[in-house]
Amino acid sequence: MAPLVEFTGVGFGYPRPEREREGGFSVTDVSFAIEAGEIFGVIGPNSAGKTTLLRLLTRVVSADRGEIRLAGRVIAPLAHAELARQIAVVPQEAPRPFPFTVEQLVLMGRYPHGPGRYFETDEDQALARAAMAATGVLELAGLPLEQLSGGERQRAMLARALAQQPKLLVLDEPTSHLDLRYQLETAALLRRVNAEQGTTVLLVSHDLDLAAEVCDRLLLLDRGRVARVGPPTTVLERSLLERVFRCPVAVDLNPTSGRPLVRVAWPSGRAPRQGGDQSSPSAQGSRSEGSR
Amino acid sequence: MSAASRLALALGILGAVLLVVIALALFVGSAGLSPRAVARALAGRAGAESIESIVTLQLRLPRVVAAVLAGGALAVAGVAFQGLTRNPLAEPAVLGVSSGAAFGVVLAQISGLQLSFLEVLGVATFAFAGALLAAAAVYMIAAVPGGLSIQTLLLAGVIVGIFFTSAITVLISIMDYNRLGGVIYWLLGNLAPIPATSLALFAALALGGSWLILRSARELNLLALGEEAAVQLGVDVTRLKRRVFTAAALLTGSVVAFTGPIGFVGLVVPHVLRGILGQDNRLLVPTALVGGGAFLLAADTLARNIVAPAELSVGVITSFCGAPFFVYLLRTRYRATL
Amino acid sequence: MKPARVAALATLLLLVVSPAAAFTVRDMLGREVTLAAPPQRIVSLVPSVTEIVFALGGEARLVGRTDFCDYPAAAQATPSVGGMVNPNLETLVTLKPDLVFATDEGNREDTVRQLARLRIPVYLVHANRVAETLDLITRVGAMTERQAEVPRVSGEMLRRIEAVRKAVAPFARRRVLYVLWPDPLIVPGRESMLTELIEIAGGASITATDGEAYPRFSLEAAVARAPEVIILADHSTGASTAGRSAPDKWKRLTNVPAVQAGRLYSADLSILHRYGPRVPDGIEMLARFIHPEAFR
Repeated sequence: MAPLVEFTGVGFGYPRPEREREGGFSVTDVSFAIEAGEIFGVIGPNSAGKTTLLRLLTRVVSADRGEIRLAGRVIAPLAHAELARQIAVVPQEAPRPFPFTVEQLVLMGRYPHGPGRYFETDEDQALARAAMAATGVLELAGLPLEQLSGGERQRAMLARALAQQPKLLVLDEPTSHLDLRYQLETAALLRRVNAEQGTTVLLVSHDLDLAAEVCDRLLLLDRGRVARVGPPTTVLERSLLERVFRCPVAVDLNPTSGRPLVRVAWPSGRAPRQGGDQSSPSAQGSRSEGSR
Repeated sequence: MSAASRLALALGILGAVLLVVIALALFVGSAGLSPRAVARALAGRAGAESIESIVTLQLRLPRVVAAVLAGGALAVAGVAFQGLTRNPLAEPAVLGVSSGAAFGVVLAQISGLQLSFLEVLGVATFAFAGALLAAAAVYMIAAVPGGLSIQTLLLAGVIVGIFFTSAITVLISIMDYNRLGGVIYWLLGNLAPIPATSLALFAALALGGSWLILRSARELNLLALGEEAAVQLGVDVTRLKRRVFTAAALLTGSVVAFTGPIGFVGLVVPHVLRGILGQDNRLLVPTALVGGGAFLLAADTLARNIVAPAELSVGVITSFCGAPFFVYLLRTRYRATL
Repeated sequence: MKPARVAALATLLLLVVSPAAAFTVRDMLGREVTLAAPPQRIVSLVPSVTEIVFALGGEARLVGRTDFCDYPAAAQATPSVGGMVNPNLETLVTLKPDLVFATDEGNREDTVRQLARLRIPVYLVHANRVAETLDLITRVGAMTERQAEVPRVSGEMLRRIEAVRKAVAPFARRRVLYVLWPDPLIVPGRESMLTELIEIAGGASITATDGEAYPRFSLEAAVARAPEVIILADHSTGASTAGRSAPDKWKRLTNVPAVQAGRLYSADLSILHRYGPRVPDGIEMLARFIHPEAFR
């Protein structure tokens, strides 16, 4: 079966001033594919170009080189509404100021399916309610978004994306502002949506452990280029991570899930004693790791 | 209640209010006509040369129509600018767009355009161009990537307004002393009976501009998500901004061309409507059209009668009400977003 | 015979000879004004015209005036339609006028157009010279059917003007600066009647060739022309509420001959800027300022 998303030799560079201002960076010769129905993660350090990939996929910016295909069709000539019917993006943060209610927000997700209509149809309303139920914000429907907590806001934004009924759900740093409980909930939600509705999920994240736990496959970006694509065990490999992130790391295996667990080798904060320090955790960690 | 039925209800109520205000405006005035006389004139049963006919049909009625059109146009322009800039304090006068349009008109008057139909069109064109110029200047000054900075927007509006007001002063200074009184009077913003052909043109411009904004109402809502998110939902943001911008400038320009600069209608009316109906532009735009008309007509009726037989300029009344209202908004509701 | 008198007499004769039924006249801007009959209900939007109507004894036909039509005192009894710039059209229409006097210097063009749309005949006036004032008196006389009074009024005016000319003739002309408004400095130019009035009164306006009616002028240039008499318009009389003249600012210009000689005067605006029967009053006042020695 043809992959849902296919990047072939894609290159893009922001014009100079924008690069500094928006923190956007270029990508070079990026090629990868996302299979339908999988949960795909994009990871990498800050300047790697993760958000740029998203922007290229949703055609907020256009690729200078290469080709991007969605469900087999090149996206360059597609209208934005057409793209919006297939791809839904959950941004990192809720927009501010945002004076609308949760329900009004979620209904906005129905726009691509009827851009000519003035008001939404009953069917739109039903789909929106279903999306709100799926993410657990139905009781908050009449409240202004700004009155919700961080976690509730995120779920409302997710509901809006679900209301779009996309083939591909894209999340940009979905857990960056959430505390632990909501991080867990989000991960569970994504799993459920993917399993129940077969929606393909594309996740961009800083959080390597979340990516490892939730994603079927990962793409590691290094300064705009593909460093590796594959299942988490393949991509989250110590020497590769140390090269890309340029800091010492340790990779363990999560005993329950069998997925890789990335640990940063934190500095001890104590001055080194004469003749080396045998008792510092980092020394212990690397030794024990090396002895595996 | 669904949005559509809420809109219908709101329009029904506002429409009734508008009719009441229209009736009031037609029945009250310096001529001291009895209600029965006015009714006779309206029904066409008074002689064409009778006082009640002349006053009601040739003086009051055109003025009422002009007031409703101007008020509606200004309120819709306010909603448009507020949706575009995501700032509830944006409106044609605050953004200096009225001053730009006024400059256009004064320029047209100095270059000698008088009042045949084509020349009325010419004056309206100058006004529209001035409005567009001012709005573009404000937008360019205040735009930063990711949207419009609120503080900069308001400041830019003030500055652009000052610039065009100064430009008007330059024009005035080369104008003859005898014509000064007339121009200064015009700059206060007045409603007066407008001849039928001009009124038809005014109506076409006001309703046409409002229609353009109405069509974009749903997309204006989506703009609140942020420009990038709106693009990702399928909105053609560039074209949307251009369309709404141009339409709002057209509305402002046409009002200024036919009645002079009148301020704050686009601030007060949308704000009140938002308090009742919420933020959905699809409800705000049509109700602003009707509500704005009622508001300005009420203000003008007050202006006409409060110190009768002398008349106040309606622009004076809206400014006196609008400026404190603006301060109130700034200090209470929108302090958090500044 | 002075050209003014010829013009006045000629117009008089022409109008006396024309029929009293439906007629068309040309107003002072050359527009054709058609009336079904001599007007019986006249509204004057021009204070000067109001004065003339009263001077000719035609006030019975005057049904409306502006707030600024404050002379003579009897004019207060006539209903007012508001200001010159923004007369209340409803009030005006209620008076059922069959003729409205208006001017292109003080009334708005829009008002004139509105009246035209309401099919109310408008007679436009414009007078920047003494001769034109006399012409205006004749025309008003014709419209109010008080032609018989015109020679008396005009004659009196001409006699008094002649008297002033004779009184100041022996003396050298003095340079005069007339200040309509001090800040910004606004002075009478080529098209202003004041220039001629100053000339009749034995002076020479130092701004006589500048600009049109009332141009802006620079204070430095005014001082450089060394006026020997400075006359400041006082706006605070009558219905106008604009400020008084403020001589103190001028007294500081000690290098100006007028200030050195103490010839700094304040003049009643409403007399000097109206083109009606009080023109001689204005000229006499100016003459006393410019050549006080002629009247001792």
